[in-house]
Amino acid sequence: MKLFKASVMVGLCMAVSGCIGEGGGGRVKDDKTIDYGYRKKHLSQLVAGIWVDPNGCDHWMIDDGIEGYLSQRLDQYGKPVCSGVAPPNTATGNYKGGQTINDPL
Amino acid sequence: MAIMISKAVRSAAKMAVCGVVAAVVAASSVSAQEQFFDNSKKATNERYAPTIWVDPDGCEHWVMDDGFEGYMTPHTTRQGIPVCRRGNVCGVMDSDQFFATNSAKISGAGKSRLQQFFRETGAVSYIITGHTDSRASDSYNMDLSMRRATAVAKVAQSAGARIADVRGYGERLPRASNASAGGMAKNRRVEIICIR
Repeated sequence: MKLFKASVMVGLCMAVSGCIGEGGGGRVKDDKTIDYGYRKKHLSQLVAGIWVDPNGCDHWMIDDGIEGYLSQRLDQYGKPVCSGVAPPNTATGNYKGGQTINDPL
Repeated sequence: MAIMISKAVRSAAKMAVCGVVAAVVAASSVSAQEQFFDNSKKATNERYAPTIWVDPDGCEHWVMDDGFEGYMTPHTTRQGIPVCRRGNVCGVMDSDQFFATNSAKISGAGKSRLQQFFRETGAVSYIITGHTDSRASDSYNMDLSMRRATAVAKVAQSAGARIADVRGYGERLPRASNASAGGMAKNRRVEIICIR
């Protein structure tokens, strides 16, 4: 019984965490440009919000369910963009826009 | 016999040590060097070819999803300049219209034109960059372009706009050739980048 419970729990955890769907079942080995998640999509479709770092500078933030992405917002000269859109240590905008699996936490 | 045994023991010990070292080395890099993209499970190197994600500013980022983890980093040239499909320059001020030669003072009419621009544009914030032509020295032009950009930023702030950064690039980032008068006029400018 204990074993059964444990295996059910593991299965549930995998389903929730996306180990089954998001894991990609080995397909990512060949192509890392696609999210093989609950709803398969090409990574160019990601929807970003903004995370403001402790210095007040912007980063593109994407919470794609299982995967998280963070990349610097740079202007055309290569300098950090510190727009003041939100206070430091804040995430703003549609950074969970492409999420198909809710975060367990 | 005793000598032979001790030799045998010693060589065995050596081999054991070598074996451990070899295993550690193999696990780190040697096997990978031998076969860079070995498909066997022991290989530590794997093909990670990214695709491109374009941010809302129009600039490219390298992005990869290896199943559970996602990775992203800005696509820049080797000089550190982001690769962008479009710029976010939303206003180019012709310096000749706003400033007298060698001056960073904006006329009253110029100020009200600028205030109107910032009120109508309504971006989150602005980056102001000053530029000059190649006459006079580099250091003079760096200073003049900075003073002009600062003057524009002050007008922007008076119109309630938020300024993210003010910079003077002098003659270092020309938009046209300085060989002709027309080109030099194009290079005398203050650019306004709109952060949406």
